[in-house]
Amino acid sequence: MSALYEVDNVSLDLAAPAAGLQRLLPGVAPRMTILSNLSLSVGQGEMLGLVGESGSGKSTLARAMMGLVDITSGSLRFEGQPVKTRSDFVKVRQGAALMFQDAVASLSPRRKVAAQVVEPFQINGVPLPEGPSTATAMLERVGLSPALAQRYPHELSGGQARRVSVARALALNPKLVIADEPTAGLDVSVQAEILNLMTGLRRDLGLSFLIITHNLAVVRHVTDRVAVLYLGRMAEWGPTRAVFSHPYHPYTKSLIAAEPQADPRKRRANLALKGEIPSVLARPPGCEFHTRCPIARPCCAAEEPAPRMITPDRMVRCHFAAETEQRISGGRHGTELEH
Amino acid sequence: MSETLLKVDDLSIAYASEQGALQALRHASLEARAGEAIGIVGESGCGKSTLASAMINLLASNARVTSGGVIFGGRDILSVSGEEKRRLRGRHIAMIFQDPMTSFNPVLTIGEQLVDFQDQREGLSKGEKRAEAAAMLKRVGIPDPERCLSRFVHELSGGMRQRAAIAAALLMTPEVLVADEPTTALDVTMEAQIIHLLRELRRDYNGAIVIVTHHLGLVGELCDRVYVMYAGEVVEEGSTEEVYHNPRHPYTQALIACDPAHLHDHAPVLPTIPGRLPDLVTPPMGCSFAGRCARATGHCRSVAPAHVEVSPRHFARCHFAQRNEARS
Repeated sequence: MSALYEVDNVSLDLAAPAAGLQRLLPGVAPRMTILSNLSLSVGQGEMLGLVGESGSGKSTLARAMMGLVDITSGSLRFEGQPVKTRSDFVKVRQGAALMFQDAVASLSPRRKVAAQVVEPFQINGVPLPEGPSTATAMLERVGLSPALAQRYPHELSGGQARRVSVARALALNPKLVIADEPTAGLDVSVQAEILNLMTGLRRDLGLSFLIITHNLAVVRHVTDRVAVLYLGRMAEWGPTRAVFSHPYHPYTKSLIAAEPQADPRKRRANLALKGEIPSVLARPPGCEFHTRCPIARPCCAAEEPAPRMITPDRMVRCHFAAETEQRISGGRHGTELEH
Repeated sequence: MSETLLKVDDLSIAYASEQGALQALRHASLEARAGEAIGIVGESGCGKSTLASAMINLLASNARVTSGGVIFGGRDILSVSGEEKRRLRGRHIAMIFQDPMTSFNPVLTIGEQLVDFQDQREGLSKGEKRAEAAAMLKRVGIPDPERCLSRFVHELSGGMRQRAAIAAALLMTPEVLVADEPTTALDVTMEAQIIHLLRELRRDYNGAIVIVTHHLGLVGELCDRVYVMYAGEVVEEGSTEEVYHNPRHPYTQALIACDPAHLHDHAPVLPTIPGRLPDLVTPPMGCSFAGRCARATGHCRSVAPAHVEVSPRHFARCHFAQRNEARS
C-alpha cells in the first residue's frame, strides 16, 4: 500500500500560558510540547484509527495535517509532495477533508443546509458540478432526503448533522477524510449507520480515512490499522486485529481492558487504569506513561524508550516490550531486558 | 428481596407542543430497591430522561402527568407541594447529571457549594459542613480534598468534576441516587474509574442506584436489573444477565446486535435498526416497534402487546415473547 499522507517525526510546541507578569519578562518564553517526534502514515485506501485519551494530541495532529496549526519540526508529505507552505496546504485541503468533532457546532446556525454543503466549492472557486441541484445530489450521496436541504442545522438530529458533515467533506472528491470523533454522542444504531456510510464510501470511492476517536469499539470494527497516542507520543501502532489481540504497550492494554463490556458475565473486578493523563505542562521525564504504568520500573522514569519495530508492521515504544512479547508468545520470562 | 424504595407506577407524561400533546412516557412502571442498581437504557427519544426527571421531580414546565405516579415513602412525589418537593430533592433522592461542568456554579468554589448543599442539615457549623464535604471528596477518590474545596469547577479535569458531582449527590446520604448518563462525557479510562467508584459505593451504601444511559456497556458492568425503553414504553425488563443473554423483545435484540462492543471480530458492515421512531403525538395503536420490526404482522400493527412475564421477573412487551421461548 503506498502512503497517501505521511507524517514524519513531527513535533509541535506551543507557548505555555505564562502566569501574570511573567509573560512581560524578556527571555525565552516557556513552551509546552503537544506532539513529540510523531510519525504516522495513512495508506491509499486505508482506514487508520488514531486512539488515545483527551489531551493525548489526537485532534492537534489532525489540525496540523490540515495546516490549521503550524508544526515546530518534522515534515509532512501528501501524495509524495512535501507540504510546507500555505499554498501547499491549499492543495492538501482540496485533496483531504476534515470532519470536525462536533457536527452541529461545525455548521453555521444561521444558514440552511443547502448553502453550507456547497461551501467547499465556493471557497475553492470550483463551479458547482451539478448546478443548482448540487446540494441535493450531495445529500443523497450520504443517504439524506433532499428535503433536508432547506432546513437549518438545529432542525437536524445528531445522525443527520453527522451525515451533512460527511457530505461536506466529500464535496471536492478528496482522497483522504480525517474524521475527528465521527460517532461521539450518537446512539448505537445511528453510530453503526455512520460507520457503515464511511466504510461504504471507502469501498465505492477508494477513499482513505483517518478516524480519530477514544471509542475503541469503533476502531476495532472498521479500521485496518490502529495507532495509539499518549501525551503527544506514539505508544504503539500496528494492524488493528493484532494490536487488539496482543497489545504490547501497557497503555494499549489498559485502554482495551477499560472498555466496558456489554455482558454481565464478563464483569471484571478491577478495570480501571490508575490516575489521569498528566498535563503537558508537567510532562513526566523518561517514558510519559510511567506515572500510571502497572509495570513501571526505575529506569522508566529516567530513560525515554526508543521506538521498536516488533515486526515490520508493528511499532511499540516501551522498555519492556520485549518482555511482553515473550509472555505473549508463551516464552520464558526474560530476566535480562533489552533497552 | 430487599425493600422497594422508589416505585414508578403506570406513569404517563405528555409534553405540550405545537403539534399537540407529545406522549413522551406511556404507562411506565419500575421499582428501585435498597442495595440494588438498576439501569434504564434506550436511544434518544425513548423517554428515559423524562422518566429520570420524573423520579427526582424535575419535570419541565410543559410536562403533564396523564396517568400514574412516582411513589416514594408511601406517597406520590409528583403531587407534593413546592416546599416539600425541595425537601425530598437532594436529601432523599439525588441526581448526577451528564455534564458535571454545568452541575456546579462556575463562580463559586467547590467547597462553598458543597457547604451550601448541606443547608437542610441542622446543628452543624460551617466548619463541620466543610469537613464533611472534604471527607466525601476523599471518599469518591479525589486525592487532595482540601485543595479541591478551594477550586472552581473549570480548574478540575473531567473525571474529577464527575467525582465531585457524585460527592455532592451523596452528601445528604440520599436513599435513591439517579445518574443520567454519568460517563458519556468521559474518556474510556475515566469511565472505567467512575464505574469502579459507583460499584464501590453500591457495596457500602444501602440505597438504590438508578443509571440512565444509552450505553449498554455501562449497564452491563454495573446494574442488577435493566429496563429497556422504546418510544416512551418499557419494552423489556429483567435481570441484566437475563436481558443481555436471552433478550425477548426484538428491539432489545437489535440494540444488542448493533452495539459494536458486542461484536468480537472485524465486521465490514455493522447491523443497524432501519426505520425511525414513531410520532409520539399520535402513537401507534399496536406495538410501537412494529414499524421497524422484521417479524411484525398485521396483529402487531393493530393490537398493543401486553407486558408478559416470560420467565420469573423477566418481562417483554411483544406478542412473540412467549413463542420465542418455545423456539429456544
